Amino acid sequence: MPLDNLKETRKKSISVGFLYQSNRSRLNLKAVNGDVGFEKEIRDKNIHRPGLALAGYVELFTYDRVQVFGNTEVRYLNHLSLPERVKAFHTIFQFDLPCIIVTNGNTIDKELLAIATKQGVSIFETPFETTKLVYFLSDFLDDQFAPQTVVHGSFIDVYGIGVLLSGRSGIGKSEVALDLIERGHRLVSDDVVMITRKGEGILMGAGSDVVKHFMEIRGLGLIDVRAVFGIRSIRFQKRVELMVELQEWKNDVEYTRTGLDHENISILGVDLTHIKLPIFPGKNITVIVEVIALDYLLKHYGYDAATVFSKRLDQAISEKTKGKRVIDYFEHDFE
Amino acid sequence: MVEREVTIRNKMGLHTRPAASIVKLAAKYKSDFYIEKDGIEINGKSIIGVMTLAAEQGSRMLLRFTGEDEEQASKSMVDLFQRGFDEEI
Repeated sequence: MPLDNLKETRKKSISVGFLYQSNRSRLNLKAVNGDVGFEKEIRDKNIHRPGLALAGYVELFTYDRVQVFGNTEVRYLNHLSLPERVKAFHTIFQFDLPCIIVTNGNTIDKELLAIATKQGVSIFETPFETTKLVYFLSDFLDDQFAPQTVVHGSFIDVYGIGVLLSGRSGIGKSEVALDLIERGHRLVSDDVVMITRKGEGILMGAGSDVVKHFMEIRGLGLIDVRAVFGIRSIRFQKRVELMVELQEWKNDVEYTRTGLDHENISILGVDLTHIKLPIFPGKNITVIVEVIALDYLLKHYGYDAATVFSKRLDQAISEKTKGKRVIDYFEHDFE
Repeated sequence: MVEREVTIRNKMGLHTRPAASIVKLAAKYKSDFYIEKDGIEINGKSIIGVMTLAAEQGSRMLLRFTGEDEEQASKSMVDLFQRGFDEEI
């Protein structure tokens, strides 16, 4: 079941200048032709190595991606005579390239650099090996173009499990979150949880920059969790692993009794375990949420209580218990 | 569902006091209330949510109401925005 009313956003493009500024020190990038081409836009999270295009084969050339010149490209260019080299460069520059990154500390000829500058395309040089650069750059672009959404709920790290508490306005999510914090768990965000999909199956949750670790308690107002409970009560981001939905007890809703039939919910196309938790006065939701997190951990380590119980029952039935007592007491243990 | 586009008119933008006015007004109605700005949609009944928008004067947003009293809710909410939250415009 997909989560209703979720608006998905994703960046359409980033500028070459932004790519440079964000990665300059991390990737040791040097802008060889100054700020030429910084306004150009990158719209694709993938990276391309234009070896074949340089050799003249431009069919299916994904020119709109960041172009990386590794040792192969540079050596290929260097084995050509200068006029051939210029011709190869012109071949790829008939297309609108966003930027070129030259790896392994290789450099580009003055003549070729002039072509790039004339076309308004940035060239960056880095001492990084191609594989290493591609690894870091893919990670960066993946994050920049990742789909994002906002979920109304409280997001807490409970025993290392990212638990997203949801439910209607005023049902008491923040109060449960506060109780969990009091018991030593860590708040990621309250009320507004920004969720980003990383890679194919990972959801990361964080608070927005403005309201990070602030919380509203009805009747009290805004509190700053970090100031009140200290640095150990918060965390910046966490993988979202479980969704616990607080609901008023309804007679016509069937709640799971064995745990064998758990439901999933889909956020940004990633399935999460979805637990519907009916609440009523006198019920300690905090402890139940802790148990939910611990039970999830057990399952993660391969122990599913419901399945184990069910197997035990099957075995007892098959062993024909006729004439046996339900419990065999320890001898002489009268405590 | 009722959708209305509004603009922030007051000088100070959507700061704490107007944010409180919005959630207080929204709480009077049963309808679900969402605000969308720059592709981000938040629950208009949550003050933290409304403040997340950090909307300055002139910014535009889409109000979305769903529920039995959506008409009345949208009317009074749009009115609050148009009055610039009763602040200096």
